[in-house]
Amino acid sequence: MNWSLFFDLTVSGLTLGSLYALIALGYSLVYGILKLLNFAHGDVYMIGAFIGWYVLHALGGPLNPTFTGGVVLLLMFIIAMLGCGVLGVAIERFAYRPLRNAPRIAPLISALGVSIFLQNSALLVFGAGFRDYDTFDLIGVKTHNIGQLFFSVPQLLTVITSICLMVALTVFVARSRLGKAMRSTSFDREAASMMGIDVDRVISVTFFIGSALAGAAGVMFGLVFGQIYHFMGFIAGLKGFTAAVIGGIGSIPGAMLGGLIVGLGESYATGYLPQGSTFQNLYVFALLILVILVRPSGLLGKAALQKV
Amino acid sequence: MRRRRATAVAALLALCAALAVVAAAYATPERAAAPAAQSGSDAALVKCGKTRTIGFMAPVTGPAASIGIQQVHWAQYYVSTYNKTHKTKFKLQTEDTQLGAPTGTAEALKGAQALAGGSSVLGVVGPAGSNEIVGVTKSLKDAGLAWVSGSSTRTTLTTDGTRTGYMFRTVPPDAVQGTTAANYILNKLKYKRVYIIDDQETYSTGLADAVEQKLKAAGVTVSRDGVSQQQSDFSSLIAKIARDTQLVYIPWQLPPKGQAFGNQMKAAGKGSIKLMGADGLYDSSFASVGAHVYDTNFPLNPKSKIIAGFKKGHSGDGEYFGAPTYAATQVVGTAIDRACKKGSATRATVRAAIRSTNIPAAQSLIGVALRFNRNGDLSTLHKFGLYKSNGTDFVPIAG
Repeated sequence: MNWSLFFDLTVSGLTLGSLYALIALGYSLVYGILKLLNFAHGDVYMIGAFIGWYVLHALGGPLNPTFTGGVVLLLMFIIAMLGCGVLGVAIERFAYRPLRNAPRIAPLISALGVSIFLQNSALLVFGAGFRDYDTFDLIGVKTHNIGQLFFSVPQLLTVITSICLMVALTVFVARSRLGKAMRSTSFDREAASMMGIDVDRVISVTFFIGSALAGAAGVMFGLVFGQIYHFMGFIAGLKGFTAAVIGGIGSIPGAMLGGLIVGLGESYATGYLPQGSTFQNLYVFALLILVILVRPSGLLGKAALQKV
Repeated sequence: MRRRRATAVAALLALCAALAVVAAAYATPERAAAPAAQSGSDAALVKCGKTRTIGFMAPVTGPAASIGIQQVHWAQYYVSTYNKTHKTKFKLQTEDTQLGAPTGTAEALKGAQALAGGSSVLGVVGPAGSNEIVGVTKSLKDAGLAWVSGSSTRTTLTTDGTRTGYMFRTVPPDAVQGTTAANYILNKLKYKRVYIIDDQETYSTGLADAVEQKLKAAGVTVSRDGVSQQQSDFSSLIAKIARDTQLVYIPWQLPPKGQAFGNQMKAAGKGSIKLMGADGLYDSSFASVGAHVYDTNFPLNPKSKIIAGFKKGHSGDGEYFGAPTYAATQVVGTAIDRACKKGSATRATVRAAIRSTNIPAAQSLIGVALRFNRNGDLSTLHKFGLYKSNGTDFVPIAG
């Protein structure tokens, strides 16, 4: 057993998995409440990455930042999350709310339309070129290690930040009034409305939170992998969605688990399977099929009971 | 039950999308085009007028838009400089091919059909990718249109006889570039352990195959892998690359991806392993990875005023990947002018004019005269140039 390779792959898988988990949470939250597959979510993540890049450069760029690296990073995260949150609310307000009572295919098509709209808008506004986060200049290139476990600062930052955001979300949904309202709306939207819950507000908040998490994931992607571009949300969105389905769409812990499974699966497949890098998408989606066949509602999802 | 069904539908949708991505990455529709059942458009007389139309196919949007835009810029640069100095004018009818997107080849086909149906279109520049060329061959041939590509390098495109007299290109085929790279690794660097990673596009796999074949034949230990053009995380793949590897050959199309790969190699403590790209990565962003980076590229004319003029209008950026598209536009434009001498022309006469192109080296920015052999390849370009990074840009080295 080549332990060095195993640890490298594990670190890489956890980093990727954390990103997928954050994206998957957005899918799960929205699906849990609206039963809507928000296919524009991957593109919100892309917009988050661009907002982070613009904030970085507005603050002097990676070589001459106006503040210390930590403050710049914090501002990048906060502004990207806020920007994406607002974008998510706007998408829900203008593209999904008018279709809330339409057949379920209508908002799905609308979601695909929003996705392509965002992609091409990004191409128009940001251009076709790649943008470089220049993370090395901002936080250094040094790799740290514990024994044979090597990791970089952006990788560590990604995993820790993701865990913090996921814990915060779990606590928010479990303990806060708004979280309780979200759970009620998810359980039965009509009944929640009759009990005095402002369902529109709850849905807006859900979109805000899900999109903000995608924004954070976008910034993390830029920090870890260096480059962002207008098409980056397509595959990431698909993988995030896969993670949500594997974990059990609608389930918050399921999204987290699904993200980690997809990230680690992708990493180990790349490292250990023949032509692993070439066929990594094949392995990831084969995993999706396998899980769906064995547990159609996902690993932590609950099969919905229907009274007859 | 409903929820289960919804989950299953969702899974199916994801699966379909995934299959579409995989299919787009691997589809090589190598069907032989049917014999050209040429319509009347081949011989239809087109009144040239003061403004002539050049069809132009490039990936303006989609995953490869960052290199597509370079081709757009260079084609537009030819048209704008020409229009400033001539009484007659050119305009581009641009069709987006979305190279690399799941619907890429279909979009290219749609674009080819639009150009074929455009009564004023006399010749075409593009498309960019070899797969796209295969996909659009029948549509363009049936309409009698010749096309000149500035980036499709699959060797068989011009040698299988399917497109003879219709397809031309201003870049040399994979066989030429692959040989240049392999010879340098074998004879100059004398390396014995090489890792080759393609980007799953025809351009890249063709070059990777050519180099792999030559290195293996010479007894070099070669490992092979691939990445998708959408991929930005290379950490798992880098973990697989043994530390005693001497060179990683990445004939990719997108320079920023090459830059990201190089930087992630450094972050993984493997920055001492040499990197070599191909003409697709010939860009300062890839060169900026460090002085351990090599590349091969068509020999641009370093004294060309055309390049200086282009850079001036594009913030000093040469966008070199697009340079052969300037040559392609120049070829088509010159041929249309020759065919239009009497005020009208047919697509057939433009084809013949392209075939007999003879633009001297002094007017060509790729360093050699523009003349085509019978197959449609440049008869004047037999060797690629070799370059090494000085940390910020590529400088020529002896091959």
